[in-house]
Amino acid sequence: MPGEVRRFNEGKSENRPPEGLARRLAAIIAADIVGYSRLMGMDEEGTHARVTRYRRELIDPTIAEHHGRVVKNTGDGFIAVFDSPVEAVRCSIVIQQSVTGRSASLPAQQQILYRIGVNLGDVIVEPDDVYGDGVNVAARLERMAEPGSVYISGGVYEQIKNKLVCGYKALGDKRVKNITDPVTVYRVLADPSAVKAARQVRGLVAALAIVLVLAVGTGIGAFWLFNRSEMERQGGETARAPVAPPPSASAPPSAAPAAPGTAAAPTPVVAPAPAGAPSLLSEPEMVMLPGGSFAMGSNEDATEKPIHRVSIRPFAIGKYPVTVREWKVCVAANACAAAVLGAGAEDDRPITNVSWADADQYAKWLALTTRKPYRLPSEAEWEYAARGNTESKFWWGATLSLGKANCKGCGDPYDPAQPLKVGQFAPNPFGLYDMGGNVAQWVEDCYHRDFAGAPSDGSAWLAGDCFTHVLKGGSWRNDPSYVRPASRDQYDTAVRYPTHGFRVARSE
Amino acid sequence: MLTRRLLLASAAASALPLRFALATSAPSDAYLYIISPNNGAKVKSPFWCRFGLRNMGVTHAGDAYPNAGHHHLLIDVKEPLDPNEPIPQDKNHLHFGAGQTEARVDLPPGKHTLQLVLGDANHVPFTPMVMSKKITITVLPH
Repeated sequence: MPGEVRRFNEGKSENRPPEGLARRLAAIIAADIVGYSRLMGMDEEGTHARVTRYRRELIDPTIAEHHGRVVKNTGDGFIAVFDSPVEAVRCSIVIQQSVTGRSASLPAQQQILYRIGVNLGDVIVEPDDVYGDGVNVAARLERMAEPGSVYISGGVYEQIKNKLVCGYKALGDKRVKNITDPVTVYRVLADPSAVKAARQVRGLVAALAIVLVLAVGTGIGAFWLFNRSEMERQGGETARAPVAPPPSASAPPSAAPAAPGTAAAPTPVVAPAPAGAPSLLSEPEMVMLPGGSFAMGSNEDATEKPIHRVSIRPFAIGKYPVTVREWKVCVAANACAAAVLGAGAEDDRPITNVSWADADQYAKWLALTTRKPYRLPSEAEWEYAARGNTESKFWWGATLSLGKANCKGCGDPYDPAQPLKVGQFAPNPFGLYDMGGNVAQWVEDCYHRDFAGAPSDGSAWLAGDCFTHVLKGGSWRNDPSYVRPASRDQYDTAVRYPTHGFRVARSE
Repeated sequence: MLTRRLLLASAAASALPLRFALATSAPSDAYLYIISPNNGAKVKSPFWCRFGLRNMGVTHAGDAYPNAGHHHLLIDVKEPLDPNEPIPQDKNHLHFGAGQTEARVDLPPGKHTLQLVLGDANHVPFTPMVMSKKITITVLPH
């Protein structure tokens, strides 16, 4: 294996050559305010204050919600990039609707309205700017757009037409300044009049959705009640218990989705459990770890150098990786993606095929519903937890022992096709299962090529462009070297892969 | 009807056991190649590796558009790929699921092989496999 193989997009570092970041495909939003100079001329302070408020309260959160990133602020607008054209257009529609809604009460000459253009293209994304023809086309589309509307290029249209339920009006091929080929332009019908026209149809869909919600809700409710009484009858015994019987306080109710079918329906069902009944939420079982300091890293691989001392404050970490059962509860609450669940995904297997963004979303949802500071562990916390006060290559010693972890070459039990149920191997000295092998686990940190300049206080290292995040522990498809607590790898932040999972941490 | 469509959509990108992953077909004239470095080149590390693809398009992992996939760069890989399984993810199999068309690669001095493989929405090679010629480069000592 090469000592060090990496992509060069993990942020600034001393050795980094001056060239920019890699080219990549991105959906680009260009937006600006109609008649900005006129508005400023009329009421400079008022306009500025309003625009700032719109940005803070409406626009920036919407972009973040759709996994986009503002790469450039212009005086009267911004440019944002998205991995997914669907998310980019969805985000644009939400921005237009919320801004139009907010402006509606103001007199016409004071209204702030945006024009938005969306294009898909190969661009060069730098930390604070973005370059390429793709950006220029987005900017031209923006300038063509009617106030309050979203114009998209043919490239975007082709990618979203079957995915986003809204109207598209073809405006034909337009010549774009300095671009050789004409660009096909579509208008997304999301302005107030189009919404009004679409409302009747939407009403019908909503009625259908309500019927569905009621049906599914009744089913889930009955199932939940049944399970609950069952659980009570069994004196709080849990349904999960992969190896060690967990304490009843964190009993996973296995309540949520009765069948994968209901889990996949996008029905806004099952509100977060009311406060006062936290034990009924499927909170992952946590293990409280003492604080301490340890030597992080190793000399086995260039990416794990230099070995450095890190202090860790006491914190709690998941005893197992987050399971399919736990993920389903989040799906049922309409907060996590159903798409990552396979038809036959068994409840006690770790959830897989999650991107870092998916994992982060789960942790945020869990924190919100439980009102406890759940989050992803930092890379330092993960390694500290995996070592369990040992300093050897593996937590059990200096050499590989078979049957200690789930990896390709780690011995039995082993299934090449899928991860094993959580907790099939002996726990490490901290009582944690699957800290290495089974599923590779996302941590909070952005990927950096090595530990030069890494924090020493146990916090997550978030500097850099964060295009990729750190994965720890390796999966069942990796070789034994990935099972080492110090081993680290990286993967694109927003991309799903079938061997990637995660566990949660909680600050105390 | 609504539900069924959603179920189908979710099945396409789901975490089914790996052996159930279905192969996606590629046009027979699809051509994947490494634009740079050239076969036999002597380079200083890190270097740019640029990916070329003809008669197919580049899209994001997870998107199942016809005739489109995303790049994977195999470094010093000797074992043949399993055509029915997702392309492995490790330090020798780099994934470019965000639609990247080039990468900065950092390798220790010595001879290395590079090869591109196109993967579908679920990171599984196409049928027929869309794969570049394997090239050998020499990374010069610092």
